[in-house]
Amino acid sequence: MPLIEVRGLTKRFGGVAAVEDLSFAVEPGTVTGLLGPNGAGKTTTLRMLLGLVEPTVGVATIDRMPYRDLANRSHRVGAVLENASFHPGRTVRDHLRVRARGGGVGPTRVDAVTDLLGLAEAADHLTGSLSLGERQRLGLAAALLGDPEILILDEPANGLDPEGVRWLRTFLRGLGQDGRTVLVSSHNLSEVAQTVDGVVVLDRGRLVARSSLEELMAGGRETVRVRAARAEELRDALEADGGRVRLVADDRLEIGGLSVERIGTLAGELSIPLFEISTETPSLEDVFLRLTARQEATS
Amino acid sequence: MIKAMRTELLKIRTTRLPMGFLALAVGLTALVAGIESAGAGGASSMAIPSLSTAGGLRDVLASTGFALLVAAVFGATVSSGEFRHQTATDTYLDEPDRVRVLIAKSVVAAGVGLVFGLAAAATAIGIGLGFVVAKGYEVAVPGATIGRFAAGTIVASGLLAATGVGLGSLIRTQTAAIIAVFAWGFVVEQIVGGLFTSIAPYLPYTAAAMMAGVTSGGGMPQVPSEASPLPFGAAAGLLAGLSVVISALAARTSVRRDVS
Repeated sequence: MPLIEVRGLTKRFGGVAAVEDLSFAVEPGTVTGLLGPNGAGKTTTLRMLLGLVEPTVGVATIDRMPYRDLANRSHRVGAVLENASFHPGRTVRDHLRVRARGGGVGPTRVDAVTDLLGLAEAADHLTGSLSLGERQRLGLAAALLGDPEILILDEPANGLDPEGVRWLRTFLRGLGQDGRTVLVSSHNLSEVAQTVDGVVVLDRGRLVARSSLEELMAGGRETVRVRAARAEELRDALEADGGRVRLVADDRLEIGGLSVERIGTLAGELSIPLFEISTETPSLEDVFLRLTARQEATS
Repeated sequence: MIKAMRTELLKIRTTRLPMGFLALAVGLTALVAGIESAGAGGASSMAIPSLSTAGGLRDVLASTGFALLVAAVFGATVSSGEFRHQTATDTYLDEPDRVRVLIAKSVVAAGVGLVFGLAAAATAIGIGLGFVVAKGYEVAVPGATIGRFAAGTIVASGLLAATGVGLGSLIRTQTAAIIAVFAWGFVVEQIVGGLFTSIAPYLPYTAAAMMAGVTSGGGMPQVPSEASPLPFGAAAGLLAGLSVVISALAARTSVRRDVS
């Protein structure tokens, strides 16, 4: 039974669709990346899930009910959202005290999350004086006040330096290992690739992929590079065999849709000497970019 | 509701906002009361009558008009500040019932407004009576009247703070909400009250000011001299009703808007 479910979700601002007929589910105990370029509809989707933005059509539920109807919300769901901030004149500790009281969480958790997120030294600093990394940690600390089973994080790595990104990655992995269900959005696949079990890829408000990382990689097309004599003759033969072929130089081809074995066999049948043959497997990032770029090309 | 109110109270207590507004309310009241007391009975055309007279002392005791505006601005700042500082997201994550948040803010701001009113009334009374004693005059205003002015300042200040919360929720943009409070007090009511004296007591700032005994300006918005104050309960009911109407309007419109 999915813990987070989005069905036919659409949000239009004026005439512009930020999210269009989006459906996906997140199983309990998994870490799922909600990925897409800036403007893909990730933040709007998360805000609809949390009852902050009203969907035009469709439903978004957590444990089969809207967020606002959940009992013990702070113990069920913790969230860090982009464009949320802190009162600059309130200290870190007081911010957490306010969030704890608002969420019905005991004050002892304030010190616990302050220590957990490494904010003890900054506890009496005003939030307005915090660095970007400290602000991200404070957001996470507030989300963890109720020790929730579900975490919804919107671009938590935004603005972090490489050390901060590495810390976040380790932290998210730890949350997943604790058995929590995490839905984390990012425009940068590499930030979350080592952490997530599966991905939901959006582009221009639409779902373009929902799979595990392995499935996503398997869907990436391998490219075969060939250096051959009579490259044009070989190209014609490969295309006739169903390959997608590009002549990149007089003696060089890039081929998709055919295996190395098939290309070698065809070249042998035509007695075309091959001087070099290699394969290139696309990276996860390439697959991600190709998915979103394809949407762009067809829209 | 109790949890929401305790949260809103903690929010207010953990910033310098209320102390700043309290200082402003007391400071402006002290300035007006001090200047009026020092110049009372003088030859200047701006001078109030001598503090030995009921009219002169009454003017000083009712130097709380600015404090009433400060209370309204405080209320508007409390609610619109959630959008200025982008804290509304967290607030609505913790309490998705937005109307409950609005009511909690109004009640808490009203409570803080009462404190502003109390401090302003104490300041005006302290300065007025201090000058009276220093000059060896008799206290020309009955104790019951002094008490009524103080009670009016306190109640009106609380109710205007709650009204400010509704206004800030309706407008959301903090600067616009604050300008709206001042524009209403200094411009709209001055024009409308001046043109139509009979309806002046029903205008919110004028009604609040008359509860506090304000009759003249002293830099504060003027109360039309021909206007008769509403009975205390009616004026308080008018302000409470206005607060409810503005908050209800906000609850049906801006409070429902997407928080993005």
